[in-house]
Amino acid sequence: MSLPARTVTAMKPIIMLRHRGLVWLLVSLFMLPVLLGLCGTVAPALGFTPTFAPGDGFAQILTDPRLLPALGLSTFTGLLATFLVLAITVMALVCVHDTRWWSWMNAAIPPVLAIPHAAMAVGLVFLLAPSGALVRLVSPALTGWERPPLDWIVPDAQGWSLIVGLVIKETPFLLLAAIAQLPALDVDASLRIGRTLGYAPARCWSRLILPRLYPRIRLTLLIILAFNLTVVDMAILLGPGNPPTLSVLLMTLVNDPLSRAAASAGALLLVAVVGLSFLLLFALEIFVSGIARRRRQSGVRGHGFSALRVLGKGVVMLILSTSLVTMLLLLVWSFTRRWRFPDAFPAQWTLSNWSTRTDVLMQPALTTLIIAMCVAALAISTAIAWLELERRGAAPRLDGIWFVPLLVPQISLLFGWQAVALWAGLDGTWWMVVYTHWLYTFPYVILILAVPWRELAPEWGHAAHTLGAGDWRVLWRVRLPMLIRPLSQAAAVAVAVSVALYLPTLLIGAGRHQTLATELVTSVGGVDRRVVAALAVLQSILPLLAFVLALMVPRWQSRRLARQSTRSLTRTAVA
Amino acid sequence: MHELSVKDLCLRMPNGQSLVEGLSFTVEPGQVVALMGPSGSGKSSILNWLTGMVDSHLHASGEVWLGPRQLTSLPTEKRRLGLMLQQDYLFPHMSVGDNLRFGLRGGSRRERTERVRQVLQDASLAGLEQRDPATLSGGQRARVSLLRTLLADPCALLLDEPFSALDTTLREQIRRLTWDSAARLPVLLVTHDMADVPLQARVLRIGESSPADSLGMHPQPI
Repeated sequence: MSLPARTVTAMKPIIMLRHRGLVWLLVSLFMLPVLLGLCGTVAPALGFTPTFAPGDGFAQILTDPRLLPALGLSTFTGLLATFLVLAITVMALVCVHDTRWWSWMNAAIPPVLAIPHAAMAVGLVFLLAPSGALVRLVSPALTGWERPPLDWIVPDAQGWSLIVGLVIKETPFLLLAAIAQLPALDVDASLRIGRTLGYAPARCWSRLILPRLYPRIRLTLLIILAFNLTVVDMAILLGPGNPPTLSVLLMTLVNDPLSRAAASAGALLLVAVVGLSFLLLFALEIFVSGIARRRRQSGVRGHGFSALRVLGKGVVMLILSTSLVTMLLLLVWSFTRRWRFPDAFPAQWTLSNWSTRTDVLMQPALTTLIIAMCVAALAISTAIAWLELERRGAAPRLDGIWFVPLLVPQISLLFGWQAVALWAGLDGTWWMVVYTHWLYTFPYVILILAVPWRELAPEWGHAAHTLGAGDWRVLWRVRLPMLIRPLSQAAAVAVAVSVALYLPTLLIGAGRHQTLATELVTSVGGVDRRVVAALAVLQSILPLLAFVLALMVPRWQSRRLARQSTRSLTRTAVA
Repeated sequence: MHELSVKDLCLRMPNGQSLVEGLSFTVEPGQVVALMGPSGSGKSSILNWLTGMVDSHLHASGEVWLGPRQLTSLPTEKRRLGLMLQQDYLFPHMSVGDNLRFGLRGGSRRERTERVRQVLQDASLAGLEQRDPATLSGGQRARVSLLRTLLADPCALLLDEPFSALDTTLREQIRRLTWDSAARLPVLLVTHDMADVPLQARVLRIGESSPADSLGMHPQPI
């Protein structure tokens, strides 16, 4: 039975009001930690909370002799790593596109992205350290070393190990963002036209494709830059200890109640560093695009440098395969009983690293899994709610706002958010940890879902409505099943992001929630290498499983339909 | 100018099925050869092969010559074969003038700017040098695209249904401009529309019968 037209018209304002309420609720839920977090950092830094953070924060941090070296190190590692990430991404596109390596590269990116930062960093230490797998493979045959060499250490004092780690971890992220944009740029046709006009492929890329691609990946690059400048977990594992990077220095300060104001002031300095780095990037952009514009008009055709192409392919493949090798190495270490230097392979294998250390492994794994699943469910449902409101015209497009937490240094936002949680007596609560994880997961989820959701033809919904389905039924039976692939991918990404989050769990969880990320970072210094490897493997397995499930779910859906269809055909044939 | 010759071209699908078998033909300077045939008969693949950008899954053999110069093993950018496609592909991040300068070979900055201005004036497009290609009409875009191709000084012109996206009035105008501009070049035209084929053109039908049999003059004036 349908409602009379007048009743429906009268209900519309009520529905719109309810929609508007939901829009405000979602925006407030998202912006609350951001704004309160920043306020919570600014107030102690400026001396507004003397009981919580005594002293003049800026005076303390600016007179700290560790500040300048830490600042220099953060800037050097962050800027250089970001520049290398961009250069290698461009190299990958120019040198690998249209070759048989292209599909391999595309297949290798998702598993590499799924590896959490901390696990990757631990794997790199196991690979590059003087007693690591690389040295073992060539010793003593090529080096003559019977003991680990003392010439270098990982992490090194200059920050090179951290740069290598950041480049290996972040290049696939930028590469994925760039590859996703290529179809919109009609790359093949541009290359074809450019080449028939006499330009070498590399020139076609630099003059025709990259100028259009760069604005589309700028936001991702800014996110990477902010991350590289302010990362904590990878900097603890791969960065130098004395002086450490600025973010690690701030972490040591925040744990001392007398230095909280200094930590907050330092966190604001970090925001300034990130802001200045953004400005530097924009200035470089203007400079490079000016040169590029002049070059474009010169008509110089250029040559195809096959040696450079080989080099480019080599670098890209090295980066992607290193990530996979580190995983393999962690797996080997987690089953090792005895592996003496300089043996290339373990002498004895065992399961006991897993079976006898369940206390160290299982509890954090379970906590991580529960938090990740809750966060994924929350992020997916809120993203669907937002996109559905947007589709109905009740919510504006706020794509720029969702990325704010990824552009503001985690440490600068979380110091304040932690202070607010402490003040409200909510620190260490499970739901605050989930809420904070959601803040960092939601942007990725909405980024993945927005395009397919907006592109899904409204006619599908119209058709279902004319068949008598209400809004909820259309959502559950039409839209969600039709978007099962991006939904599964988004859920997997949400799990991967949550599993990898270190700082939000540590600061907001107040040390009461041991996840694999927090355990791994704290274990590296003191716990047995084999148990650390097992922790890192566990941390990597969870997102990998999520990605495998994300691949399987749409297949199950189509297989179920195929089975039903076959059964129906058989029944018809029998009849 | 030299003639464009294709010798014994074979294109095979990955499953071994033949798409084009033993195709040979020559296009003399100033001559237009129209490649015609049903969809999927390999017309565009032939053009791709000529430019050196054939799909990697196709197995291709044969030779392409431009006068005494064999192009078969040369990369696309060294072949000097001008290409126009159904879409004009004016680069959206460049102005009209920059698009034309991109095609132009050599010359000082002033010479290049002067040449572009002259060319635009000759094509009744004066004053559009600084314009964003997105603000041009379909006919203007088609003309700029043709000018860009010709400014690269090609030795032959390959046209892959270049008029099919234009409306009827513009079509005739752009066709005439194309044939006039390419009067001294060998031109290979891929089309499925007989109206696009100039009267004096030779028509090469593929995918219907033996290509050698189908070579001949335009069957009937339109």
